[in-house]
Amino acid sequence: MEITLRIRRQMGRDPASYKSYTLDLEAGATVLDALNRIKWEQDGTLAFRKNCRNAICGSCAVRINGRAALACATRASDAVAGRSEIVVTPLGNLPVLKDLVVDMADFWQNLERVEPYVSTAARRVPEKEFLQTPEERRRLEQSGNCILCGACYSECNSREVNPAFVGPHALAKAWRVLADNRDDHSAERRARYNGTDFAWGCTRCFNCNEVCPMGVEPLDQIQKLRHELVVDPALPETTAVRHRRVFVSQVRTSGWLDETSFALRVLARTPGGLAGLAPLGLRMLLKGKIPFRHRPLASQAEVTRLIDAIQNDDHHH
Amino acid sequence: MITTTERLRYAFYPGCVSRGACRELSAATTLITAELGIELVELTEATCCGAGTFKEDSELLQDTLNARTIALAEARGLPLMTQCSTCQGVLGRVNEKLRASDEAYRSRINRLLAEGGHHYGGTVEVRHLLWILVQDYGLDRLASRVRRPLTGLRCASFYGCYLLRGQTTGRVDDPVQPTSLERLFATLGAEPVDYEGRTKCCGFPLSSYDTKTAFAMAGRRLAEATAAEADCLVTPCPLCHLNLDARQPEVERALGRRFGLPVLHMSQLVGLALGIAPSRLGLSQHIVSTRPVLAKLGL
Repeated sequence: MEITLRIRRQMGRDPASYKSYTLDLEAGATVLDALNRIKWEQDGTLAFRKNCRNAICGSCAVRINGRAALACATRASDAVAGRSEIVVTPLGNLPVLKDLVVDMADFWQNLERVEPYVSTAARRVPEKEFLQTPEERRRLEQSGNCILCGACYSECNSREVNPAFVGPHALAKAWRVLADNRDDHSAERRARYNGTDFAWGCTRCFNCNEVCPMGVEPLDQIQKLRHELVVDPALPETTAVRHRRVFVSQVRTSGWLDETSFALRVLARTPGGLAGLAPLGLRMLLKGKIPFRHRPLASQAEVTRLIDAIQNDDHHH
Repeated sequence: MITTTERLRYAFYPGCVSRGACRELSAATTLITAELGIELVELTEATCCGAGTFKEDSELLQDTLNARTIALAEARGLPLMTQCSTCQGVLGRVNEKLRASDEAYRSRINRLLAEGGHHYGGTVEVRHLLWILVQDYGLDRLASRVRRPLTGLRCASFYGCYLLRGQTTGRVDDPVQPTSLERLFATLGAEPVDYEGRTKCCGFPLSSYDTKTAFAMAGRRLAEATAAEADCLVTPCPLCHLNLDARQPEVERALGRRFGLPVLHMSQLVGLALGIAPSRLGLSQHIVSTRPVLAKLGL
């Protein structure tokens, strides 16, 4: 089948341009097959990363029609379905070196910031091998499947505006090592991850879950990590942690959120929090956006009992 | 597609924000559904969905409280209607999770719900008003109800993350190239504006504890829509509305740039096209003035 690929070409910081290549592909050919054929048969100057062609190494992640994906795991016929051409561009949130090759230095350095290794003491080899129960191993399964391809990092909306944010790949790995029963640095890890450059910097845009080719669902791992921070009484109560606690306590006592009292309670102990809130509050008041009073649900007593029962059930599991 | 001429009925889940800081949304939804003959049965005993954060306290809490809300609709034998992208993504995701989960977990949740007389059976769908208009009511039918075509109004869609990507089943749009809002705009006579940020995050979830990042994110979206020469943003999510409208003056200060870009709730835009008076749609209850939009429509 004859397919056209429109590829973004760029040398370093020079202005980018697009070049189209048309080729006849066999049924079942992947986008990586197409890139290889273009390079071998039409244009040897085209640059892209590749290695295993088998969705194991994570080298060939690019954007295909605007969505980060592995070129080797995407069939050209699927990518062109309903379109006149396949648009291939480099990953986002990373600077372009040449064409589809991006500089991944930030990606690796951010991974390093979460200490992505099971702690040293625990790695000291004992008399026999380390033992893990199947259940202990299962906790690591999903996050352990990450192949560090960079697809999630490319689409991360927080990373796009906050260069200090470590990114979804690093936080999925943070959960991977924190959840490992052999690691003995859990308390230090929780303290380190309890900030807006780490666990609390994610805006829950779901893009990481959407594009991950390995089903790691980084957002789900980030939320497990956050749970560990919310329930750890030893950690200083950050505004983000207080946000969760006040939220649950309000729903427990009234069934739904009272935004005004919520904002006041969450920000009361944050330096400059209330002062920062004042202009917003005034504007909202003038436009009649602040409700006169907050009425609890009629079924409030039942909701309170239910939340108590859930917390009790959680405790026993 | 279940477009029908029969009377449509839904159990209505308004959500916290539309009963609090964005009451104009509930007012507009009530008006347009009445005008279109869509019957809503409000679930006054439903709790907050948790906006995705309950899970960080306890996954069981998120699943059980939202199973309870779905059970309330089930007890009435009605599909559940949301008017907020976040509520939709959270409730829809819990519904798809519990439908696929093992019997033991569902039983655990139902044992907790039994005390209050509820039972989750997974028999109803959770559907956003946008999906109901586009699929259940049908855009052809909606077009025949337009009394005031929004000719010349350049509308930039703002879908909300949870609407596009919160669920992995029962999706109406391709999360990378969604079209339902754009098709809705065209049906109302308005002009859809394409811009990069329409599928991205507004920053609301970070607004209380990483305000700088939340404002930077909102600022990008406002700048992208402004560059595309939009007259307004239109969103099916009141949380996006809060960060893009209520906090727009602070975003402007943080970025050192003025936008003054009106942000309309989807229900308000539909209401304008149905000929409902702007004052009844709560268009004066916005932080950023909606007057330029009304002026463009000759109102």
